[in-house]
Amino acid sequence: MRRSRGRRLAVSIGKPLAVFVPVFLLGTFFTFLLGHLSGRSPAYIQLGDAATPEAVAAVEHEWGLDRPFGVQYVDWLGDIFRFDLGESWFNGHSVAEVLLDRAVITLSAAGVALVIGVVAGFALGALAARFHATWVDRAVTGFTTTISVLPPFVVGIALVAVFAVSLDLLPAAGYVPIEAGLGPWLSHLILPAIALSFDTVADVARQLRDGLVSTKRENYVTGALVRGLGPRRIFFVHVLRNGVGPALAVLGLKFPALLGGAVVTEAIFGLSGYGVFATQAAIRGDVPAVQGVLVVSVVLVVLFNLVVNVVLNRLAPAAARGV
Amino acid sequence: MIKVLLRLPSARIAIGVLLVIAVITLFGPVLAPYDPLQGSDLTLAPPSAQHWLGTDYTGRDVLSRILAGAPLSIVSTLEVAGIALVLGTIPGILSVYLGSIFEWVSLRLIDTLVALPFLVFAVAMTALLGNGITQAMIAVGLLVAPLFYRVARAATLTVAQSQYVEAAVLAGASTGWIVRRHVWAKVLPPIAITLATTLGLGLVVISSLTFLGIGVQPPTPTWGGILASDLDYLPQKAYAPVFPAVIILVTVLAFNMLADAIRDAAGQSGRVLVGARAAKANRARRVAA
Repeated sequence: MRRSRGRRLAVSIGKPLAVFVPVFLLGTFFTFLLGHLSGRSPAYIQLGDAATPEAVAAVEHEWGLDRPFGVQYVDWLGDIFRFDLGESWFNGHSVAEVLLDRAVITLSAAGVALVIGVVAGFALGALAARFHATWVDRAVTGFTTTISVLPPFVVGIALVAVFAVSLDLLPAAGYVPIEAGLGPWLSHLILPAIALSFDTVADVARQLRDGLVSTKRENYVTGALVRGLGPRRIFFVHVLRNGVGPALAVLGLKFPALLGGAVVTEAIFGLSGYGVFATQAAIRGDVPAVQGVLVVSVVLVVLFNLVVNVVLNRLAPAAARGV
Repeated sequence: MIKVLLRLPSARIAIGVLLVIAVITLFGPVLAPYDPLQGSDLTLAPPSAQHWLGTDYTGRDVLSRILAGAPLSIVSTLEVAGIALVLGTIPGILSVYLGSIFEWVSLRLIDTLVALPFLVFAVAMTALLGNGITQAMIAVGLLVAPLFYRVARAATLTVAQSQYVEAAVLAGASTGWIVRRHVWAKVLPPIAITLATTLGLGLVVISSLTFLGIGVQPPTPTWGGILASDLDYLPQKAYAPVFPAVIILVTVLAFNMLADAIRDAAGQSGRVLVGARAAKANRARRVAA
């Protein structure tokens, strides 16, 4: 028993690793290749466009950019494993340090959005499945279809216009660290988080509804009914535990969208997270800073998906047995 | 299939809306009543007989800016979908036929593209590669291509494993002939659905990029750019973003409706739909006679 559980955990980590190690390697390679293809150089940022070729060559030598592509790549990849993302071409600051401060803001917004997505998505999905094929089901489905087509920037602007400008209930822009208190922190994050969460709410609700409705028809649920178990126990132990799989899997797929959506929502709500940092650095041509953002986002996506996979494997006993 | 499609009311509405958008795209800059770049003293004016949708913060006519911004927004959306179609569909079909090494490599590439945070990469690629609308379209097209790859591959797999293809192979048919004769017919409807969905998605992404000022230079009018300038003047004119937002939403919605309608019209459900309508018409005729 003990051993089989250990093996199941090993499989639940090992199998996604086989998928995500190539994702990590290819993703970081794309990132490096992108910087190389851009043809940007720290020389022009530091010296301006009128720099002499000798001065450019000297600066590029200083940054190690005159070495062969392969050598630069291996060197860069090795640094990543030591949590060293290089220095900004723009002001020489350590990219890793700057990003750490920024990522806290982005991850706070994405985290609150994830909580909203899970709570609202599960509530709506369970409601639609409980009242399957009634007007409640149709109303929930209509609502989720509507919010899933609304782009985050439209939702974000609408939220600012209504709750911050017209009603003056919440702050329109800025960020307050959590040390200043939970209330102010949440009041600055709740609007961007809602704008980010719409897509996740819709997809989680849809997948959970379908999962629960199809699980209810399974033999083991009929069996539990025949054995006279209570409806609450059947719902939580038999139906929810086995029907939650697709909804959790979709969370893993939505996480990149939550991180990517940060680029737009941070611009709307004036949060100086990593999305705004990425946009500014990309426009300036600060290649190490952009590469740092991209690497951090790839790592976050890979880690989040590994966690989702482990949870999925622990939760769904019948699915794993193939009943 | 197109005949079946036109019998669906939702398809007719979607196509009607898209025709209007097409007219705006083709003739928008000509139809614009004012110069979209010319400011005036009348700043942030509400809608009136002279300015149907009001004016923006430098007194430019909002209707003219929306009309003049249509070609850039819509044409780049079409090109994004076109690039994604070519980059996704062809490897998707070939992944079934070109052996396991190509299959494994292409699947890993697609896994990676899906896992990347889409907008961050689109912004980074566009800005680093020269910050033009062409770069933006290539970047977004590449990042959307996995949608087509997966759909084309799934459809091709069902054909490749079917008995009539096996029979054709046994009869000595070449791979090229099988792809042309059998695979296209099965792959085309799901590709058409994905294309319609991608057009909606592409418009949202292009609007997001232009909203951030990526890929275009001000004062070039774009739908996303109009939204961005309205955002700065919300306290003075809170309803201003409604106009550009509505035209983006209506267009996206029309593309999504078209995708759903193609799904209904294609394949088995389409035949059932036509059959049910014919049966109803026959019944009505018999009752009348």
